[in-house]
Amino acid sequence: MGKKKRGHPDVEELLARPWCYYCERDFDDLKILISHQKAKHFKCERCGRRLNTAGGLSVHMNQVHKETLASVDNSLPNRQGLEVEIFGMEGIPAEVAQAHNQRIIAGFYQAEAERRAATGNPTPGGSANPAGGQAKKPKFESPADLKKRLAEHKARKAEQAAGGSSGGNTPMANSPMGQSPGAFNASPFPPPQATFGATQGAGYGSFSQEPYTQPAVAYQQSYPQQPPFSGPPGAQYQPQYSPPQQYPASQSFPPPGYPPGQSFPGQQFGAGSPPGSFNSYQGPPSHTPPAHGGLPNRPPSLPPAPGLPQRPSFGAPAVPPYQMQQLHQGPPPHQQGGWGGNGWKGQDQNSAMSSAYPPHSQGYNGDYSTNASSVDDLVSGAAREADDIDEIIRMAEAGIKPPKKGEASQLPITAPASTVTSNAPTAAATPTPAPETTDTTEKTEQGEKKAKKEKSIKMIYSDNDLSPEERMAMMPRYAFVPEGKTETILVDAATLPGITGTVDA
Amino acid sequence: MAPAIQFELSQPPTDAVSSLKFAPQSPTLLLVSSWDKHIYLYDTQDQEAGGKLIEKYEHRAPVLDVCFGADDNEAFTAGMDWQVKRINLTTGEQTVLSRHGAPVKSVVYSKEHSLLISASWDSTLHFHDLKDPEREPTTITLPAKPHSLSITASKLVVAMTSRLVHIYQLQAIAMLASHANGATAELAPWQTRESSLKFMTRAVACMPNDAGYATSSIEGRVAVEWFDPSTESQARKYAFKCHRQPDPEGDGTDIVYPVNALAFNPIHGTFASGGGDGVVALWDAVAKRRIRQYQKYPSSVAAVGFSNDGKYLAVGVCPGFENGQEDYTGEGATHVFIRELGETEAKGKGAKLF
Repeated sequence: MGKKKRGHPDVEELLARPWCYYCERDFDDLKILISHQKAKHFKCERCGRRLNTAGGLSVHMNQVHKETLASVDNSLPNRQGLEVEIFGMEGIPAEVAQAHNQRIIAGFYQAEAERRAATGNPTPGGSANPAGGQAKKPKFESPADLKKRLAEHKARKAEQAAGGSSGGNTPMANSPMGQSPGAFNASPFPPPQATFGATQGAGYGSFSQEPYTQPAVAYQQSYPQQPPFSGPPGAQYQPQYSPPQQYPASQSFPPPGYPPGQSFPGQQFGAGSPPGSFNSYQGPPSHTPPAHGGLPNRPPSLPPAPGLPQRPSFGAPAVPPYQMQQLHQGPPPHQQGGWGGNGWKGQDQNSAMSSAYPPHSQGYNGDYSTNASSVDDLVSGAAREADDIDEIIRMAEAGIKPPKKGEASQLPITAPASTVTSNAPTAAATPTPAPETTDTTEKTEQGEKKAKKEKSIKMIYSDNDLSPEERMAMMPRYAFVPEGKTETILVDAATLPGITGTVDA
Repeated sequence: MAPAIQFELSQPPTDAVSSLKFAPQSPTLLLVSSWDKHIYLYDTQDQEAGGKLIEKYEHRAPVLDVCFGADDNEAFTAGMDWQVKRINLTTGEQTVLSRHGAPVKSVVYSKEHSLLISASWDSTLHFHDLKDPEREPTTITLPAKPHSLSITASKLVVAMTSRLVHIYQLQAIAMLASHANGATAELAPWQTRESSLKFMTRAVACMPNDAGYATSSIEGRVAVEWFDPSTESQARKYAFKCHRQPDPEGDGTDIVYPVNALAFNPIHGTFASGGGDGVVALWDAVAKRRIRQYQKYPSSVAAVGFSNDGKYLAVGVCPGFENGQEDYTGEGATHVFIRELGETEAKGKGAKLF
């Protein structure tokens, strides 16, 4: 059987799609998600700068605009907080991820059921059927067959009601291929088959009474052998049963329990079906499960879709912020193996991040000199970019730094600077210990920079005593040696040759 | 997008540019001083033709600085021949106003006080009170060689070697110039500062709103400071790196270029810096942001200047003098570009935010 051409995705594909924590929107690609987040949620409303995380934006607002970020823009009401550090799919709390997945699954089955109701097509699970057209067969089932089956069913019922001891025989007679009797006994399939999609009410009422106890395997086994009878129902019901298999004990999975209700939204069940039977499955789809128990055995059944990054395991705790930061800043830590191979340009992001992050460690408290080195290290990665923001941050640093009075003579800091700056030998030649506060910050800053990090510089012009103009003036080409004669002439100067302008046409 | 276009003057100076200034009245009249011993007066209106050279005025020696006087017809030059001259741009008449003991590096003119100030490498400033042209200039001695001058309506900033910066009040200078007569006088600066930058100051430019000034150094850095001596204002000063690029050899070093020129936009209060890397960048001094950076020019930027209406930016480009250069020449490699700025091109981004 060839690849199915469908306009709708598998539930696996749906689950594998990256989605945005802040607005629950999902995307084709992680890169798109990240750019979405940068554009919608992490964009500075002041200057339009796009940051990578809410924390980064917060720091940016704080440092550049001196404002405090209260909430994440364009986010759902309960997702506005800054406490969770989100980057792409990173950092989404486990329970939120679970709730999201449930919503996806619920939505998927809902959509699938609607499709089936609309088209009458079998579900993907029904592909075990030899031909797709079989699904419609029930409609053409002759009234005689129907009556016959109904009779059989009634007979069985009666039998059960009467003695029930011969339960094993009757089904054998009805379904000679050795189908498990229990599987069908309690499920009055025939009626739904005949009127599928229109009046299943009765059928589902009883169907739901023991939905998860029936081994679906039994159905599958029976399909080939019993095309006319169990084939169609199998096509219809098998997928409905399989989800429960996957989430055996989960109360938090109302949607899988509902599939039969393709045209029966929850409220109708409450009204038209045996009241007690659905109660335990009636939680609204968006209900957050109380515990993690519901999902753990899901991932095995959902191999990661190719081309998409590996989804973080849902049961795992959210990545702590510091780890998050490491992830963004340091190339090595590849906790999430999927990132690298996904065409995600880690380095680019890194530089951007590192320029956004330094403020974290600085925090604008007075002790700049102690942590300046780390800040410098962080900045250094992005320094080459001559990034706008980078400049700003450094400017902000420079501007906010408290002037450190009296540190001009602080040799431990300034001395290394002079030794390291071998490129500028004259740098130390002008100590000029003036008592101003002006220079000290710059000096200490530079001193630290030169001492701590090996960002050596090569100055195009490094003469600290003679300006380029003075140098040029010394060259014979430009030199002017005032002759004694001209020197003494004061008035004649105005009549020197060449004073009158000559138009050089 | 606004007309972000630029054009090159078709008849640039034949050697390195030392300075360029737009006229105080016409936004299309440009004076360029050059090491080829001339100053050039251009009309930059005709952009297709690459501007028009109205006149050039020959000097005895390279001209290190030029400025306009009271109107568009008057200019002053600072010459390597130690002289400060007044040029009548209409008639071409040149008048020597004063004579220093060394090449004159800078001249600035204050129209508020009709005062011409020249700075020479003989470590003196000359003040010319032009209200009384017969009066001899007043000389004051500086502690070091001056590299750059800049004035506002009320203040004069002198950037000197040894990273010294003196700030004078023009009021006091005008008083002195109008009373003293040709003699050497003493004038204590209003403020004495040390440059925020570690290396030699290259250029200084004052904010048009008289609030502060920017200085640049040979080590790819620009500092912004405020006149107000209060602690709060002084805490606002900052410096930032610019005009540097990674060494193409890729060994992690940065090639650091001198920041040769600074100029404030008289309308928006933003400023342009021109570096040895051939880059001109616009900065917002208040918001501490770079507004934009223009594509690299063919060689080092020696001078930048805004027109009086802030609409045009003139950029003087010529090879920069580098370490160990023995045979420098700007011949044939000197260009002057005029960039027409869009309505908001030089406007500070922060202006609307704060």
